[in-house]
Amino acid sequence: MISYLKTNTFPTISMNQVLIVVGLALFSGIGLSFGIHSLVVGHDHTFGTSREVPWGILISPYVFFACLSTGLCIVSSLGQVFGIETFQPIIPRTVFLALITMATGLMCITLELESPWRVGFYALLSPHQSSNIWWKTTIYSLYLIFMLFNFMSLALTKKKMAKIFAIIALVTVTMGNLNMNSDMELLGARGFWSENYMPLYFLSLSTLTGCAGILLFSWLGKTFNGQTPNIENDMALKATGKLFTVLLLGILYFTGVKIMGGFFPQFTKNPEAMSLLVQGGFALNFWIGEVGLAVLIPLALILATKGKNANILALAGVSCLIGAFVLFYDLVIVGQLIPHYYQYNVVDLPQYYTYSPSLHEIMITTGAIFFFLASFVFGEILFKKIYTS
Amino acid sequence: MKIKDLEKLNDEGVESLSSKERRRFLQFGLSITGVFLGGTILSLTSAPKVQGALSSGNVPMTDFPYSPHYTMVIRQNHCIDCERCLDACRSTNNVPAHGYRTTILERSVPIAQKEQRERIFMPILCNHCNRPACVRVCPTRATYKDTTTGIVLMNPDKCIGCKTCMAACPYNARYFDEGKRAIDKCNFCYDTKLKESGGKITACAAACPANVRIFGDLTDPESAAYKLIHAPEKVVWVLRPETGTLPNVFYMNS
Repeated sequence: MISYLKTNTFPTISMNQVLIVVGLALFSGIGLSFGIHSLVVGHDHTFGTSREVPWGILISPYVFFACLSTGLCIVSSLGQVFGIETFQPIIPRTVFLALITMATGLMCITLELESPWRVGFYALLSPHQSSNIWWKTTIYSLYLIFMLFNFMSLALTKKKMAKIFAIIALVTVTMGNLNMNSDMELLGARGFWSENYMPLYFLSLSTLTGCAGILLFSWLGKTFNGQTPNIENDMALKATGKLFTVLLLGILYFTGVKIMGGFFPQFTKNPEAMSLLVQGGFALNFWIGEVGLAVLIPLALILATKGKNANILALAGVSCLIGAFVLFYDLVIVGQLIPHYYQYNVVDLPQYYTYSPSLHEIMITTGAIFFFLASFVFGEILFKKIYTS
Repeated sequence: MKIKDLEKLNDEGVESLSSKERRRFLQFGLSITGVFLGGTILSLTSAPKVQGALSSGNVPMTDFPYSPHYTMVIRQNHCIDCERCLDACRSTNNVPAHGYRTTILERSVPIAQKEQRERIFMPILCNHCNRPACVRVCPTRATYKDTTTGIVLMNPDKCIGCKTCMAACPYNARYFDEGKRAIDKCNFCYDTKLKESGGKITACAAACPANVRIFGDLTDPESAAYKLIHAPEKVVWVLRPETGTLPNVFYMNS
């Protein structure tokens, strides 16, 4: 990286670009300062979580960004690891996006912890190898390092080195993704998802969000930098669009399975949670977010334009990403809302526990999203040459 | 054999394969990815072992794994909800106002005739499970099973506050203590009343005027708890057995 910077002049930046970066960074700082405040005063005073619902909205951006990063890594590996030429023009941007999405995800989970300063000591001094959480944090931290080396190798045009790191990162992040499923599954005591299809669902969902991310952020990058049309790049985006369409159909199938579980208890291991999701208090989230925004709208947009319009592909991408965020929110929250002793006829026990994100939680989540956007724009300015080379 | 040689072979087809054979092949292909701990960390299928602590498949136990193996028997029809146990727990273990280690749930259970219901008070606390889901998920071993007594203990210094143990516990037995910046839970008064009494009794059991909570040792035939559990005429049950955690808190009507 140092040699790259030495041999390359610093890119020219317009005043508008500076203002955008500063604005995004400022919003990010404001949001994340709420996280610092929560760490100081304790989450009991600032978070909407409770004894009954210990995990709040902050788990959602963590899962979202981690899955997005996984998807980005998988798509980047199509060109880097598997040598598919069509995908090669989008490798550098995709790798950088994968890097900053994982960094954002890890930042979210750090701010979700009540005592994060103990992680550094006891994750190393007292590791618990049976704990999925321990594996997940370790795997994702290692993945972050591998992706950093991958990007540095790309920047230095050391292709062989980049490929080696890409392979290692791909294996690592796939392990992390499958681990994340096991992590959720273990919490079956709380009506979390332990359906048989979940591991493949997680992996396909991650790749789907990865494709959506590439379609959206390639378009944004192009708009931001005012780049001229590039045939190879457009071909890569069209190929990504095709992969995106296939994955949308796959996710549509899984969504159908969820709907079946929501209406017919015999099709699910978590009938109470699935019913709450599909036809209960979370039905609006499910039908608008998970079904509409995440799958049907992107699918309709792509089919209407036959996947040839980059603007529409970007629009389909943003719709899918918003829907996926809602999906991950539902995934984290709904399972926790089934009361522990619901089958014991307990007096005054609500049918479902309740949870609403607090201002602090919303601000931290927003801050994390702005952090990601600021990093993305920063990358567009600093690595413009790498992206277009 | 090389791919070119393979291509020359005649296709045997899959018609002769039984569906059982096909399923086994698929399952093998999917679960082979579970490289750590037999698929409990990674797997392309929902590995049954992952649900280990939570599945309905009980593990037959022929012996008690701890000595003394502490237990508590709750004679729930004795409970009058006086809450002295809760007060004793708070004062003995310095439990803050925003949390509790034990509480009493009020149940309204239908009885023989329709529209008639019986009121039952059900004390709940940490079940000190033999297969505790909370211990399984803790990333830093902040919560662990005491190798001597089987009590599920907390080391607050190691707790990072991820609250995964709270999410995993099927009994709602844990809370986050803002003072300690760590999870807190019932430890059978391990460092307080149990220590003072030489392993004989907990604060809640000592405070109960109706002998609802009987504390004892499952390996000691002279222990009151042992006698109650092993009385052949008594029906004994545990809470949420479907989670497969093998609790050490037993319930009965006296």
